[in-house]
Amino acid sequence: MSKNSTSPVRKATLRGKVAVIGIGISPVGKVPGKSPLWLAADATKKCLADAGIEKREIDGVLSCHAMASPFHRFSIAFSEYFGIQPTFSNTLQVSGATAATMFNIGAAAIHGGLAETVLVVGGDSLLSGLTPELALRSLTENRDQQYEMPFGIPVANTFAMTAHRHMKEFGTTPEQLAEVAVVQRRHASRTPGAQQIKPITVDDVLNSGMVTTPYHKLDCSLISDGGAAFLLTSAERAKELEIQKPVYILGGGECHTHEHIFLMPSLTATGAVGSSRKAYDMAGYGPKDMDVAGIYDCFTGTVIMMLEDLGFCSKGEGGRFVADGQTTYGGQIPSNTHGGLLSFAHSGVPGSLFHFYEVIAQLRGQCGDRQVPDANLGLVHSLGGGYATNATTILGTERTL
Amino acid sequence: MISLEDAMRKPTPAPDADTNAFWLGMRNSQLLLQYCGDCGNVQYYQQGLCRDCGGENLLHRPASGRGKVYSFSVVHRAPGPAFKVDVPYAVLLVELKEGPRMISTYIGGNPQEVTFDMDVELVFEAITDEITLPRFRRA
Repeated sequence: MSKNSTSPVRKATLRGKVAVIGIGISPVGKVPGKSPLWLAADATKKCLADAGIEKREIDGVLSCHAMASPFHRFSIAFSEYFGIQPTFSNTLQVSGATAATMFNIGAAAIHGGLAETVLVVGGDSLLSGLTPELALRSLTENRDQQYEMPFGIPVANTFAMTAHRHMKEFGTTPEQLAEVAVVQRRHASRTPGAQQIKPITVDDVLNSGMVTTPYHKLDCSLISDGGAAFLLTSAERAKELEIQKPVYILGGGECHTHEHIFLMPSLTATGAVGSSRKAYDMAGYGPKDMDVAGIYDCFTGTVIMMLEDLGFCSKGEGGRFVADGQTTYGGQIPSNTHGGLLSFAHSGVPGSLFHFYEVIAQLRGQCGDRQVPDANLGLVHSLGGGYATNATTILGTERTL
Repeated sequence: MISLEDAMRKPTPAPDADTNAFWLGMRNSQLLLQYCGDCGNVQYYQQGLCRDCGGENLLHRPASGRGKVYSFSVVHRAPGPAFKVDVPYAVLLVELKEGPRMISTYIGGNPQEVTFDMDVELVFEAITDEITLPRFRRA
């Protein structure tokens, strides 16, 4: 008998190895006169103050690209701007999914010994740093130059075609899509600094003008400025630093199923199924255990499909789940309690970092009158490129370890 | 960042090593699909090897041009200035009779009349001397 066949298989895991010890956010919405690098730096200053450490203690920097910044190596340009010289750094690019990958990869780098304290940072100024026309076109620029872009596909279009198919297959209605925007606007009204706080109704959404069927203007996320920053370190070091409320990374997963929308295996079941399954398996928890969620919400239908694929409800039930109030306070999974990309802010790829900021603040019990009671387990799902890219991170307080 | 000048122009396909034959075919009014001689897989997206088996024994055959609308979205707000004159237009995800899906746009009718599973047929539209785009009309 070989030695291998008798020894138990020990699966490598990040569960509980790394803690988030600091969070910071810049002003969001319309922030004129500030560059993406400044927005990232402002968030980082606040993050360092929150963690109670000095910038020289950062030895790793992970960031995402900024459309309104000329730098290809944003993480390197940021480090120069901020006056640090990290020994681990990269600028990651899987579109909207980049946020969760930064947390997962940052945790892996710390656990693997590449860095001790990793700054996860992003900032962009789509609203003030680009004209509306350039912002729209920049958001479209990642579609294929030969097979997709010549046909005038707006950024909304790939998501619109998947939502449209969802409506055909499962009877999801425009009213159910609109309800996502209504719930999140209500959430945003309690979030200091949110870009859109005026209450809206389902009729407001349906009468807001068509962008690309089935999406109306208010089914679409905002265009914003803003940045956010986080500090990750090992669970041991978090203890040494006497961090009051460390939030642990319990699980992470990715799943990337296609590049082109016409090669997406199914228009209504996405890679979020695979990425969340990996994250749940690593965390040792399931969807029903989650207390709060940050769900990528570039469009209303995206939230409905993700609620299904992340396992919060069964396939085809997402529209009814939202209409039943299951994604707000008192429901099964309060989601996007800050208002999300639809109402809080959407500064491009960094937009999903705001979901992390909110979920971590919820797990620390710092959300004031929008606090979800007894929130101990949270999930953030990021995605991009018409569901091409998916990444999930599961976070928990000390008692969930 | 892209320049405003670039944003004002519609993107035109630039043929590359994987797509030269495809765009040449389009100029000659043939939409060439790749058939894998080893496993029978059919590809619309042109590549140097079969996505299923990795084989390089790929043969080009023209598509029948027949398909159905698998999904669609009617664009009312253009993705940048270059497409403003075209709205509203219907972007189609067509499932070809041969199996593969492709992105195109609807021509020859009101975009509002497009429905799921509608039968469509291929139309060749020359946009420059070199490039002909595949469009679809109601069959």
